[in-house]
Amino acid sequence: MKVIKKLFSNPTSLIGILLLLAFAVIAVLAPWIAPPPENSRDPYMIPRDGFGSAPRPPSEEHRFGTTEGQYDIYYGVVWGTRTAFRVGVVITIFTATIGLAIGSLAAYYGGLLDEVLMRITEIFQAFPFLLAAITLSSVLQTVYGRGEAGPLMFLAKVLAVLTFGHNPSQPVDPIQLQIVTGMLAIISFGWMTYARVIRGNILTVRELEYVLAARTVGASNQRILLRHLLPNSIFPVLVIASMNTGAYVLNFAALSFLGLGAQRGYADWGQMINFARNWIPSLADHWHIVIYPGVAIVLFVLAWNLVGDVLRDVLDPRMRGKGNGL
Amino acid sequence: MLSYIVRRLLILPILATGVTVFVFLLISMLTPYERAALYVQDVPKRQGALDRLIEKYGLNDPIHVQYWHWLMGQKDPDTGEVKGGVLRGDLGFSQTGSSSVAAVIGRRLPATAELALWSAVPMIGIGVWLGVVSAVNHNKLTDQLLRVFSIVGWSIPAFVFGLLVLMIFYARLGWFPPSRLSNWALEVVQSGAFTRYTQINTLDALLNLRFDIFLDGLKHLILPVTTLTYLNWALMLRVTRSSMLETLRQDYITTARSKGLAERVVIWKHAVSNGLIPVVTIGGLVLISLLNGVVITETVFNYPGMGSFLAQAALSLDVISVLGVTLFSSIILLCGNLFVDVLYGFIDPRIRLH
Repeated sequence: MKVIKKLFSNPTSLIGILLLLAFAVIAVLAPWIAPPPENSRDPYMIPRDGFGSAPRPPSEEHRFGTTEGQYDIYYGVVWGTRTAFRVGVVITIFTATIGLAIGSLAAYYGGLLDEVLMRITEIFQAFPFLLAAITLSSVLQTVYGRGEAGPLMFLAKVLAVLTFGHNPSQPVDPIQLQIVTGMLAIISFGWMTYARVIRGNILTVRELEYVLAARTVGASNQRILLRHLLPNSIFPVLVIASMNTGAYVLNFAALSFLGLGAQRGYADWGQMINFARNWIPSLADHWHIVIYPGVAIVLFVLAWNLVGDVLRDVLDPRMRGKGNGL
Repeated sequence: MLSYIVRRLLILPILATGVTVFVFLLISMLTPYERAALYVQDVPKRQGALDRLIEKYGLNDPIHVQYWHWLMGQKDPDTGEVKGGVLRGDLGFSQTGSSSVAAVIGRRLPATAELALWSAVPMIGIGVWLGVVSAVNHNKLTDQLLRVFSIVGWSIPAFVFGLLVLMIFYARLGWFPPSRLSNWALEVVQSGAFTRYTQINTLDALLNLRFDIFLDGLKHLILPVTTLTYLNWALMLRVTRSSMLETLRQDYITTARSKGLAERVVIWKHAVSNGLIPVVTIGGLVLISLLNGVVITETVFNYPGMGSFLAQAALSLDVISVLGVTLFSSIILLCGNLFVDVLYGFIDPRIRLH
């Protein structure tokens, strides 16, 4: 309760929360504020107004103008809010869960298991994050391109079900598959901070008297881990999660910008900015193709970072002013 | 602390092995046909020819045998010539660069190094300076403003920032163009009259006494360097700030103040020399951030370095090139981290004496 009160009384986090609320409202109301055309099969594909190449400036008909290929920017920005929430939240849930599992196993059982799990964590950290994500997504795209069933396809399906509410009995839609591939790449290299922090925290908490007390009354390992250790070391995970949700959205946008995330024409902010690469010499005239989707990304990421920054201060005064837990 | 360094030294081979195993596992997700690019220049289109290659290089062998071959190279049964072998520097053939992956890295690395080296100076300078200012004015307006600035800065993606500066300084004002050199300068650099000592254009231009080319190189570097700097200064600021806050609370600072030393001397001479030591520890993070940053920055600015090559190769699903560059970068990162650990032990007298 103290935490929530602090979040709402601090001006920075209040701005962050209000921004997130505004984005949530836009995401929920998307079908009304940017209604998809009647013949549209997938509302996430941005409607096109013709096939001309050059972007058109904002007008009555297209509030934010159109980008290359006459994709409506206003529509893309509005529906892109949904994509950003889905991608950010699902990646955060997966990375936090993997990190929690690995970190708590390593800390609780210690010994050889700890040594092995921590070395694996370090190996994952030995890769520069974005490079690794790019690499993995290009490998996965090659593998998925074959269209064979297998454990990897199953994983993609699980992600598609969670992210898009995909019907599990159907094969994954290729457009969604490409997005899921990018998410999978980020998840694979995004869990290490959680694992290390949760391990460190459990190691500290484990020495406290109440754990000894629980053990003396005969509580099982599983019970001590799940009922006593995890709940008491979970706060830092919340902080990292809120800081990281912004970072994940940013990294997914980077993948999309490079052409490795969402497909051309999908309502995704990074993908929309990708078009601007072809118009660099004339960007002064076509400013709207960068500014509108760009501002959307910045505000969205900023909102998560503002909340995360205050959460960090509230939950752990010792961490005040230290690095952002990268 | 010394034992920590020794421990890091001992772990390095384990990590390096882990990295190669991981990269190889990714390679093994490809079909033998796709993997043939590890050994042959041009993958022949005829089905039969490819099958013979797969047979020849054992691309259907058990996975640990293949890993060994991939690591150490393999004798060609016909010519007796050793081919492949990551440890021998052979990373396979790059379809995107139409030469060996190692050769492409060799060509592209100087450009990336030039970018990274030029960025290091303003990045460290600005980050450290603002960090100290922030700590000295702890919780005052300057500190709060810098904090908000760094959070906002953290939230702007590199490609949005890069496109914005291009929009203003290239498209609108025409001051700083993208790419690495102007056409006329490129012609001079590639001609026989210009000796390329280091392949780093600005440095070579100075050594050749061609100041016009030096200036042209700088003009092309300013925007990408600004982008890379902006990506990192917030990190520097935060670490410097918290480390300086700790230092400023120490007794010897109070002593220095009570001796009547000017506040400027206390901060910039007494406090900074100790306060900056922990900043070295984020050297590894900065290196990661630079390696990540060059991919986006070089792509936005059409700058012919390793990062833009990686992005290009990834887009055309040239997995062998992508994995080669990633493996190379992770080895750089491992060495960089080790260097930081050793440096840390070396510059901190408290650790050296233990």
